Amino acid sequence: MLGMSRAGLAERWTLFVGALLSVALGVALVQSSLLLLISAAGANSDDAAVPMLGITLGGATFLAGFIISSTFAFTVDQRRRDLALLRLVGGSRGQVRRLLLGEALLLGLGGAAIGVPAGLGVMSLQTWLMRRFEFVPPDFVGEWRMWILGVSIGTGVVLALAGVLVAARRAARVRPLEALRESGAAARLMTAGRWVAGLFFLGGALALVIVAPHGGPAGGQAMAMNVAMPAAVTVVAFGPLLVPVLARLMPFGGGVLGALARANVRDARRRSASVAAPLIVLIALVVGNTGAGESFTSSGIGEVARSTHADFVVEAPVPARPGVATVSSETMLPAEIVTGSGEDRETTDVTALAINPRAYAAVHGTPVELTGNGVARGPGGEVPTDGSVRVRLLGLSPGSPGADLGDLPVVAAVPEMMSGGASLLMLPGQVPAALLEKAPTRSFVALEPGADASAVRADLARFGPVSTLGEWLKADAEERNSTNDKVMLVVLGLGGLYALIGVINSMVIGAATRRREFAEARVTGLTRSQVIRSALLEAYAVTGAALLLGALAASAAFFAVLSTTSAVTGTATLDLPWPLIAAVAAVALTVTGVTSLITSWSATRHPPVTLLAARE
Amino acid sequence: MTTMTMAPPAVALHGVSRVFGRGPSAVRAVDGVTLDFPRGSWTAVMGPSGSGKSTLLHCAAGLERVDAGQVLLGDTDLTVAGDAELTALRRTRIGFVFQSFNLIGALTAEQNVALPLRLAGKRPSRSAVRATLDAVGLADRARHKPRELSGGQQQRVAIARAMVTRPEVLFADEPTGALDSTAARTVLDLLRAMADAGQSIVMVTHDPGAAARADAVVFLRDGRVVDRLAGADARAVADRLAAWER
Ligand SMILES: Nc1ncnc2c1ncn2[C@@H]1O[C@H](COP(=O)(O)OP(=O)(O)OP(=O)(O)O)[C@@H](O)[C@H]1O
Ligand SMILES: [Mg+2]
Repeated sequence: MLGMSRAGLAERWTLFVGALLSVALGVALVQSSLLLLISAAGANSDDAAVPMLGITLGGATFLAGFIISSTFAFTVDQRRRDLALLRLVGGSRGQVRRLLLGEALLLGLGGAAIGVPAGLGVMSLQTWLMRRFEFVPPDFVGEWRMWILGVSIGTGVVLALAGVLVAARRAARVRPLEALRESGAAARLMTAGRWVAGLFFLGGALALVIVAPHGGPAGGQAMAMNVAMPAAVTVVAFGPLLVPVLARLMPFGGGVLGALARANVRDARRRSASVAAPLIVLIALVVGNTGAGESFTSSGIGEVARSTHADFVVEAPVPARPGVATVSSETMLPAEIVTGSGEDRETTDVTALAINPRAYAAVHGTPVELTGNGVARGPGGEVPTDGSVRVRLLGLSPGSPGADLGDLPVVAAVPEMMSGGASLLMLPGQVPAALLEKAPTRSFVALEPGADASAVRADLARFGPVSTLGEWLKADAEERNSTNDKVMLVVLGLGGLYALIGVINSMVIGAATRRREFAEARVTGLTRSQVIRSALLEAYAVTGAALLLGALAASAAFFAVLSTTSAVTGTATLDLPWPLIAAVAAVALTVTGVTSLITSWSATRHPPVTLLAARE
Repeated sequence: MTTMTMAPPAVALHGVSRVFGRGPSAVRAVDGVTLDFPRGSWTAVMGPSGSGKSTLLHCAAGLERVDAGQVLLGDTDLTVAGDAELTALRRTRIGFVFQSFNLIGALTAEQNVALPLRLAGKRPSRSAVRATLDAVGLADRARHKPRELSGGQQQRVAIARAMVTRPEVLFADEPTGALDSTAARTVLDLLRAMADAGQSIVMVTHDPGAAARADAVVFLRDGRVVDRLAGADARAVADRLAAWER
């Protein structure tokens, strides 16, 4: 059987190059993310880096599994006729299965062989991005581990075998008679597996959408950010039903070419669905997650704007001044809290805020009572609302001494906020003077009624940089959004590129098996350029459908965003990155258009007779 | 003649029906056909286009499920056989040749011929495979791929592939349908020689000339057997066909 596998590989090389590429890039992406995660966890780098790399690794594994299995299923689908022929001359179901698994094994090993060195390239790219955005220190390097060889080869083989498993079972049931039909009977559109997967992930997405508003600010955001993925899988699973329906609604223009393209979209449902699948995932992940991220930022900023009763923000301590009604000077101290004990002991890095409770309450509109040695849970959460926590204040620079404050009772709590903030509120008296003096302090200043704002601003400027509350909020929003964008770029950038390559892959595979169809169209009287234009129209219709379906999956995430922001802040907020959405749509249309042109141009290179004469 | 009728038929159909579709648009492609294909003899099946010839052949070969009736290959009932049993039959007792030669493009002529044996888990000797190719006159093309062969040559490779397992019955659906008259004659000569050597052959054809090479001709119309001729020449077959096509 392995001999057959080899001969098959050599013959249908375009199909297999596509499958090989999908395995190689998947392995490279997973390997790089895993090595970086391990290096970052060991190197004690920026706190943001480790969870971010964790998400990157999860996303890479999901994408690799998804793209590889859909590519493999598609290649198997395209070869139904070959497989039926094998059955006709005496091949058993088991032999068909073993043939496909044998091929997958070869592709898995081959993909890993290419993926391991390619992974080093991907890793240097990812490292460069992370250093550039200062998620890791400039001297951070992803380290090579010998055992990663085993992991990567295993990843390649397991993903390839798992990817082909379902397709192989399906293919083994192909009827020998299908070898006698010219184009091979169309496989059934919706298999049981598709229904099961579709409904399973639909359930997952729905559960997240329903639970997110009850998850509090942090939990709700995390859940909403995770809706896009299962929603995309749901839409993809139902793709063979949804894609052709939507694609036929696209404007084809009149004329015979439009009619031909429309007929092709309807006839080749599985091909349309296979091309659309990676595109749907790409759109859903990029648009859904950046949209959710941006919305949560706006929601947080809006919440702060509504709840903060101050006119100026000064980046320094401010004493009582003429014209000033209230000053809440808040000193930010990095801290470490320990909760639980024994097995459940947990250390968390937080920010503690040394405050004046009365001024804090007046400015932020929420009462805080701090008594004795007690602390309050701040708007950032992460601290239990009662009991006690062990608090250790950290030095302000690496190596400088901190202070262990021991176990402190939690005596109050302010509501958690969307935008987070400090997790601990305490009195300045609890902080050693040496730390308090050096730590950065921000003062929220509320004016007396009738005070001359510009005079007070000039007065305050003597203490430190002054901005109005509006200016300060705007700068804060910009910074958060830019951090957001950077995180998205690190997490989704390469994954998005991989999904895009998956799209190209499916189109190349689809075109490779269409040479005969194109030749038939040409002997029927179409010119070469008409064939190419009709294929282009078809590609645009499928891309358009994929964009809509990707947007549908993303809007499930937006639904969770709206309900979560409404539950947490009282105002439902959705703020979409339109330029990014437009850019992604433009890239998708360009890539599919160019790919369609190139593939159909190359598939029509030879005069049609040479193709129609070959009867294999 | 008496011994011919006494011997059990190679394939026997009893009241076989195959219906495509449901309701008013249902097509009875094969409609209650009872028919014996005698052992060691070559039977041609003729009839107008759409009369159910291919469907009948597929049912007789166990490639198509039947909706009613029974198909016996020797004493094996194909209508109750499971997939594994039918697969085993295709490897050992049934051979196929089709109008579009259905060779595997990735494999050479030799590899295509050896394929059924290898699928059956045998290690075919090169000489046995060469001998089979030699029998169809293609010993010198063993290492060519299908696309490097002419249509007639491809069809002869397909016949060699069907014969390499020494099947009890060879089923052929318009084996000369895509060939010019010279190539067709070569193929028909080959089949004639095989039938003379005792091979049972069931062949669907449009061509009265091809049918006249067979031992008997069965005429089909609207899924039913309407006539049967034995030992007729091409003109007689053509006249009869014309009568039924009217
Ligand atoms: N898979 C199928 N699904 C539906 N109808 C079918 C199918 N196969 C055959 N038919 C119908 O059954 C009837 C007989 O078809 P069949 O292919 O057996 O005809 P035929 O005698 O071989 O014709 P031809 O000489 O043109 O090859 C036709 O009306 C055809 O439309
Ligand atoms: Mg036919």
